[in-house]
Amino acid sequence: MHGVDSVRVASGETSDAIVRVNGLTKRYGRTVALDGVDVEIRPNELFALLGPNGAGKTTLIHILCTILAPDTGTVTLAGFDVVRQPRKARQHLGVVFQEPSVDDRLTVFENLNFHGLIYQVPAAKRRRRIDELLALVELENWRHALVRSLSSGMKRRVEIARALIHDSAVLILDEPTTGLDAQSRERIWAYLMRLRKERALTIIVTTHYIEEVEGCDRICVIDRGRILAIDTPASLKAAHGHELIRVVPDDAATADEIRASYPAAKPGSDGSLVIEADGAAVAEAFLKKFGGKVRRLSVDSPSLESVFLSLTGRDLRDQAAGKRERTYAFGQRGGEHTK
Amino acid sequence: MGQLGALYAIWLREVKRALRDRGQLVGGLSRPILWVILLGIGLNPYFRGEVYGETRFVVPYTYLQFIFPAVIVLNILYTSVQSAVSVIWDREFGFLREILVSPMPRPLILFGKVLGGATVAMVHGSLVLALARFADVSIAPGDVLYGLWLMFLLSFAMTCFGVIIANHIRSFEGFGVFSNAVILPLYFTSSSVFPLDPALTRAQTLVVYPEWLVILVEINPLTYAVDALRGTFIHFHQFSPMLGPIVIATMAVGFFIIALFNFRRS
Repeated sequence: MHGVDSVRVASGETSDAIVRVNGLTKRYGRTVALDGVDVEIRPNELFALLGPNGAGKTTLIHILCTILAPDTGTVTLAGFDVVRQPRKARQHLGVVFQEPSVDDRLTVFENLNFHGLIYQVPAAKRRRRIDELLALVELENWRHALVRSLSSGMKRRVEIARALIHDSAVLILDEPTTGLDAQSRERIWAYLMRLRKERALTIIVTTHYIEEVEGCDRICVIDRGRILAIDTPASLKAAHGHELIRVVPDDAATADEIRASYPAAKPGSDGSLVIEADGAAVAEAFLKKFGGKVRRLSVDSPSLESVFLSLTGRDLRDQAAGKRERTYAFGQRGGEHTK
Repeated sequence: MGQLGALYAIWLREVKRALRDRGQLVGGLSRPILWVILLGIGLNPYFRGEVYGETRFVVPYTYLQFIFPAVIVLNILYTSVQSAVSVIWDREFGFLREILVSPMPRPLILFGKVLGGATVAMVHGSLVLALARFADVSIAPGDVLYGLWLMFLLSFAMTCFGVIIANHIRSFEGFGVFSNAVILPLYFTSSSVFPLDPALTRAQTLVVYPEWLVILVEINPLTYAVDALRGTFIHFHQFSPMLGPIVIATMAVGFFIIALFNFRRS
């Protein structure tokens, strides 16, 4: 609902964008992480960046956060160029990074107060904001607990509270729900939705959990450093969504046969094949032909998943743990003895 | 007030983390006891030399008194370099990013961190002062103040030095090995555990010690830091009294500039 409204407003007037990205490129050696990215994000929008690991999401986020310099292109945040006026841009920015960045040896309160101090929030306001935000993320009773005693979901909540202490205009969350259990993930989204009701706030969130972006105003599908589509969930589904037939064939021979009859079939997770199909006729024809030779079959109605599949040619389900996660896990194990 | 508050936040975090780290406190207490009580008392009777057929003390002090100021330096050295581990910690575990996306200027972030580390190192250094009675060192209150000031400057310099090392090390394990490989040689060649007799000429010194050792001692800036603290606490100098404070101050400024250069680049 909200999403459709904001599109109408913005299409008439794009000059009020709070984040403006123009012709952004970034290379790491020969790898192109971002390849001419243009985005405009409007005030109070809930904007999702959707893409598999290595799509360029985190690179884009790091440039937005002023900690990575782009090769070419410009980014302005709340009117400030992130390369030329990084400290002014940071004043308006709240960030929740993919890896936890709270200090384990400090208490919840100490972490939040530290943040308030380095953002130069006056003492009285700092206390008030900490109280409000602890209430928002339901951690009042953990105020004086050492962060190391908290679960990873709770640490995430501390980070979200922290990113808002200095009244940031733009809240950036990089994979805020990765590695959390379903209940914690739901809660994090509930807090974000509640926040949006309470104050003016632009939220930019990256995720590879496709079901999480349904409630966003606009979704930006990004893969291999390029933006493939930016639109509301409803429009994306209307334009790119298909019914999907997911099948797990009995054996390799059947798989080859299916591929021969449906050249457009794409490999899905766990050895499955995914076929774009519109209308019940296709599913019926498939069943008639291969009904006895498949172990599992399901028909999904048009979803963002099918949008992603048709835009990128890849299935987003079950992204394997990337190198970052492994490195991070290793660091945590290796770091134990120095704690 | 604003920037000062931010500086205070970073300083306070370093101090709190150090206070909550039991291991570091135990090290800070056990090290001086080991060096002063065990090594000092053990070697005390042998601290004399035979020069020109005549037995005499090389320096007019007991070994315990001689080694006492050097143990302060050792404690500062260990704690300062160890506190730089927090630089690696912050980098590996993302906390550095939390600070880097804040509007705080980079030099101020580093300055706060170094101030925090230096404070902890100075406190560890002054723990040694509690053993003054056992070492038979009596310190005038005025000397304590001047000594603490020198200790703080030295702590500041050595914390910057630790940060420089940390910037070139990628893992915790590497840092442990490297820091020991740096700390102990620096300490042993700083004329901390054996004196270069100031009464002797250089030619005479070279008769007592091999030339390479004399050169190592002379080019080690810590030699002059130890000398400055010795001058303050037991009023014994091997070198010109002005040299120590000048070397310490130069190290503090120089290492901070190098550390800042490294920190900005990373």
